[in-house]
Order: sequence, then C-alpha cells, then structure tokens
Amino acid sequence: MTRVSLILLLALMGSGLYLVKVSYEARKLFADIERAKADEHQLAAEATRLDAERRSEGTHLRVERDAREKLQMRLPTPDATLYVAETRAASGGAR
Amino acid sequence: MAKKATNSVRGVNYSTSPLLASKTPPWRSRFLVLLVGGAFLVLIARALYVQVLEAEFFQKKGEERFASTLSLSASRGRILDRNGQILAISVNAPTISINPQQFKANADQKRQLVSLLGMKPQELETKLAEDSAYAVLRRQIDGGVAQEIRKLGIKGITLEPGYLRRYPENESAAHVVGFTDIQDEGQEGIELTFQKQLQGHGGSRSVVKDRLGRIVEDLGEPVDPRDGSDVQLTIDSKVQALAYQRIRDAVQQHHAKAGSVVVLDAQTGEILALANYPSYLPEERHNRTGAQLRNRAVTDVFEPGSTMKPFVVSKALELGLVKPDMMIDTSPFMVGPLRVNDDPHPHPALTVSQVIQKSSNVGTVRISQKIEARDMGEMYQALGFGSKPQIGFPGAATGKLRPWRSWKPVEKATMSYGYGLSASLLQIARAYTAIARDGELAPLTLVKGEEATASVQIFQPETVRTMRQMLRGTVQPGGTAPLAQPLGYSAGGKTGTAEKMENGRYKSGNYRAWFTGISPIDKPRVVVAVMLDEPKPIYFGGLVAAPVFKGVVEQTLRTLGVPPDLEVKPQVVAQIGGTEPNKTTSH
Repeated sequence: MTRVSLILLLALMGSGLYLVKVSYEARKLFADIERAKADEHQLAAEATRLDAERRSEGTHLRVERDAREKLQMRLPTPDATLYVAETRAASGGAR
Repeated sequence: MAKKATNSVRGVNYSTSPLLASKTPPWRSRFLVLLVGGAFLVLIARALYVQVLEAEFFQKKGEERFASTLSLSASRGRILDRNGQILAISVNAPTISINPQQFKANADQKRQLVSLLGMKPQELETKLAEDSAYAVLRRQIDGGVAQEIRKLGIKGITLEPGYLRRYPENESAAHVVGFTDIQDEGQEGIELTFQKQLQGHGGSRSVVKDRLGRIVEDLGEPVDPRDGSDVQLTIDSKVQALAYQRIRDAVQQHHAKAGSVVVLDAQTGEILALANYPSYLPEERHNRTGAQLRNRAVTDVFEPGSTMKPFVVSKALELGLVKPDMMIDTSPFMVGPLRVNDDPHPHPALTVSQVIQKSSNVGTVRISQKIEARDMGEMYQALGFGSKPQIGFPGAATGKLRPWRSWKPVEKATMSYGYGLSASLLQIARAYTAIARDGELAPLTLVKGEEATASVQIFQPETVRTMRQMLRGTVQPGGTAPLAQPLGYSAGGKTGTAEKMENGRYKSGNYRAWFTGISPIDKPRVVVAVMLDEPKPIYFGGLVAAPVFKGVVEQTLRTLGVPPDLEVKPQVVAQIGGTEPNKTTSH
C-alpha cells in the first residue's frame, strides 16, 4: 500500500514538473507566433506603402513630363506610326 | 508542564485562583457574542457586496490587472481604375508617442529622433519634462520614417497603428476620387459616395499580458478586423491624366477661369475620364478653395447652345420633314418679338447639312418650326435633359428643362438652338451617345460592375448615321471647328459659345466655350466634351475648346488601341519584316 502511494506521489511530482515545462514552452511559442504575426503585419503594411509610393513616382503625368522635358521625347502621332495589320500568326494589332 | 511552571513561579494553583471566585457579569459574555456576531455580519455583507451586488465591477477590476483588450485596426478599401491601377489607397502611418517616465535615449539617438520627426530638440525636451505617462510626438507619420524610428531602438517609444490616405494620381483624378478627412471618412467624390463600402470595420482581441507588456495568452475568440472593400471605377487613369493635362494647358493658355473635359466610352456609356481645372491635391488638407473643389463637369449647368442643334435636325430627319440636301431659307426673320439671325456670318440659304456645318440659328429655327413642340420636348427629355444623371455622384446637377406644354413659340425657337434650358457638361456628353451608338442613349456608369439603367432608343440607326456625317462637316474646312479634326481619325461634333448668364442676365464680355464630339465617325468609340469657362481674349468654342478635343481624341484612341481610319501622310522610316515603308493601312 505504502509502495503504491509512493509511486503515485512520484508520478504526480513528475507530471507536475512536466506541466510546468510544457506551459513554459507554450508561452514561449505563443510569444513567437505573436512576434511573427506582428512582423507579418508590419511587412504587409510596408509593402502597401511602397506600392503606393511606386505608383506615385510613376504617374502618367509625371512620366510624361519627364519624358518630354528631361528626355526630349514626344508622343508618336499616327503619321509617325507604322500600323501592322493583324494576322493569325501575330495577333496584337496596332503598335 | 506549563501548569507546573506556573505553579513554581506564582505558587498559586489555577483552580484555586481567587480570580475565579469573582462573579463575571452576564453582559460581558453577551457583549462578546454580539461583537463576534456583528463582525461576521459585516463580513457577510461585504461578501455580498463584492460577490453579488458589485460582482461585475470587481471582476472587471480584477481582469484589468492581467487582461487587456487590444483594438485591431482595419484599413479602408482601395479605389482602382478600370485596369486595376490604384487611385486611392490607405497606407500605414503610425502615431508616435512616448512615455516620458520610461524614455531612455542617448544624445545621439535623441538627435536622430528629432531630425526624423522634423521637430526642434527643444520641443522634445518639453514633452519629456511632462509629468505624465503619455505624450504624442507626431500623428500620421510616414511609414518609412516609422521604420527608421523603430530601428533606433529607443526605450519608452510607442508606435500606434494608424492609416493615411494616398492618392497616386494627385490632382488629375481629384474630382472623381475625392478625399477623406482625418477620421478616414469620405468627404467628396467616390470617397463620399462609397463611404459604406470602403470603410473598414475594426476588430478587438482580449489578451493576457505579462509584466513586460508581452502578450502571453488569448482570452476568448478575437473579433477579426474587416478591411473595407475595393471600388473599381470605369475611369482609365491614363486617359484621365492626359485629359487633365490637356484641359489644364488650355485653361492656362486661354487665360480661362476654369475648364472641364468628359470622355465617355461611346458604346457602353462608361466614363473613361472626367477632369476639371483648377484642381487640388487630395492629400493636402489645407488651402483648399471652393473653386478648386467644384467638380464643374457634373455640378455646373449652362445653356447648351448650338450643341442642341443636331438633335433637332435629327428629329426632323427622322420624321421625314427634311432631307440632308434640302435647301433652307436662312435669311433673318421674326419669331414673335425675337429676331432670329446668324450674325456675324449671314447666309441667304443653306442645305440642312450646311445648317449643322455652319451652325446656323436661323436654319435650325426654321427646321424646328416643322416639328411639333411635343415631339421636340419629349426628345429633349428622353436625351436626359432636366433629369439627374444616375451616377451617384454628390451634387450632380439636374439642369432645367421646362415641360413642352408650357412652351411659347418664341421659347420653342430659342430652345431649338439651345437657349432657355440648362445642362451640365456630363449631360451634354451623354446626350451625344445617342448619336454615337445608332440612336440609343447609353446609360452612364462610373463604377465597374454597377447595374446600369436600361438604354433608350431615341432615333433610328439610319437617322443618326446621316447625322454623324453631317457633324463630320463641322470639323472639316468650311465648318465651325476645323481645329477639332484629329490626326488620323475621323471625327464630328458641335461647337458652342455663349455669353455667360449671371443672376438671370447675360453678362457682356464673359463667355463660355465648349465642344462636344464623336470619333471615329463610322464606328464611334469615344464621346468627348470639352468646356472652357471665360477664356480671354479668344472665346470661340471652335478656337479654344476644339483643339482640346483633338488632343484628347488622338491620345485616347491611341491608348485604347484603335487604329486610325483616315489616310495620313506617313513619315515612317523604319521597315518591318520586309514590308514597304511609308505605307499606312487605312480602315
């Protein structure tokens, strides 16, 4: 009887210690997930911001102004465009 | 043993203690019972108070010690153009705050912080000296700056999530897209109209935090934030940008007060571009004036003038009352008290086609006199005049059109050449879709996938095909607007010039000039309407508005990949795949 109690006591202590370890690990993993989630959120926000910035850098108005003023380019007019008829082999149309 | 010890010390036996002999008064024991009983009652009452009466309050207080609720922010939906290009987007822009009691930074870190935030060092020191646990340094700072600040690793700094609205197209699409206020609520344009759809719904999450403020456990299910839905417009940002550019240049060149341009897809009625000048930067909340904010193409009404003539002539053609080459007497004549004439270029007689080409008031009135007032009135109504365009835009003007029953003969005469009624540029452009798409008026749409109202058949296809050929005459030599002829594309349209009316009187010297047209003429793809407000000193629609039409049409059709349908003298010197150079196919 005493022996059984002793074994049970040891088992109880063992499982208690294991519980402590497991809950510690659970908290640690939880904290990791939290950090990863925060990182994900931040990176996503950063991506959106950069995307928006890239768009504002490349608006049609700006591209056109720079092409005209800095690169001395001009828009092609129909008289300076060679239109290629659409064929089956090369679909695409006007270029 | 204790007893013995006592005995030995005192030498008195307990049981024989003389103190026992003295009689205790009974109130003492009762008093004690009452005292203890009373104490228990107090305890019970307190327990009742804590656990039953104010249970909720104490539970909350208890939870506060370890649990906290985080609010999760949701971002506002985007506004996209027809090709998915961003017109408005919310980007992360945190609010940066400090806890002055925990703030720890060396001199170098402080210096970097103030330079990143664009503050004076003195300003930071004042905030740090505050006797509180919270002070805001800057609101809605740029995401890039926030990243830099995070990298500094200063203790006692918090970055609270927040959003800032960005408008990559800036002033060119400002009137369509609109803007939001600091609370992220739409104030103008699509931002206002689609506030409900664009708005995000924040979530919340209850968590257990540890001593260091780290989250260690979730309490219950979190409420996820719901980001706002995107809104896709029918606007083509490229066409929009070039239309804006053209009208801006024209307004500046002709010293006009303002200008607007509307580009419609002639077949679907989708609005490809809607631009006004002056415009504003949607991201800058300061120094906006009402004149800049007004979406003139939609909110400003004016008398459509000569742009109405093609409709009257179409009706007469349709009813078989005239033929294109029929001669009309265009010498001045009286309608009631009104003398109708064609100053400054009178013609004795013109064909019906020439009435359109030369924009003859006399000719148009003569033709309109053949039409019943009812037919004319109902046609104007069917073309959308006097009714609000269904595009869900804030402040869309209805314009004025009196019911035909109350028209006097002189009013019918002036209305045939566009006076006595009013419409916005958008309404005029829309009316022209009836000529562009074989007699059917197109429903206007600004948002992709939005249910469009049914289109209405107003003229027979043959009638409007004839009318389109007549309109072509106006942009050819001898017409009122040869400057509107685009290079490589056939086009047709109608000019308009009118003295401005203010407070019910025509204001001499101030004019409004406009041009509405269609291109290409056989298979129309776009309807373009251009209006300039008070151009000086030149004010004729054919001289100031027509060149804008030409520029917008050429570039829009090129952007849409429409091949030219007119022969152009080619200047191509390159050779492709052995084909002869200098050869341009015409369709």
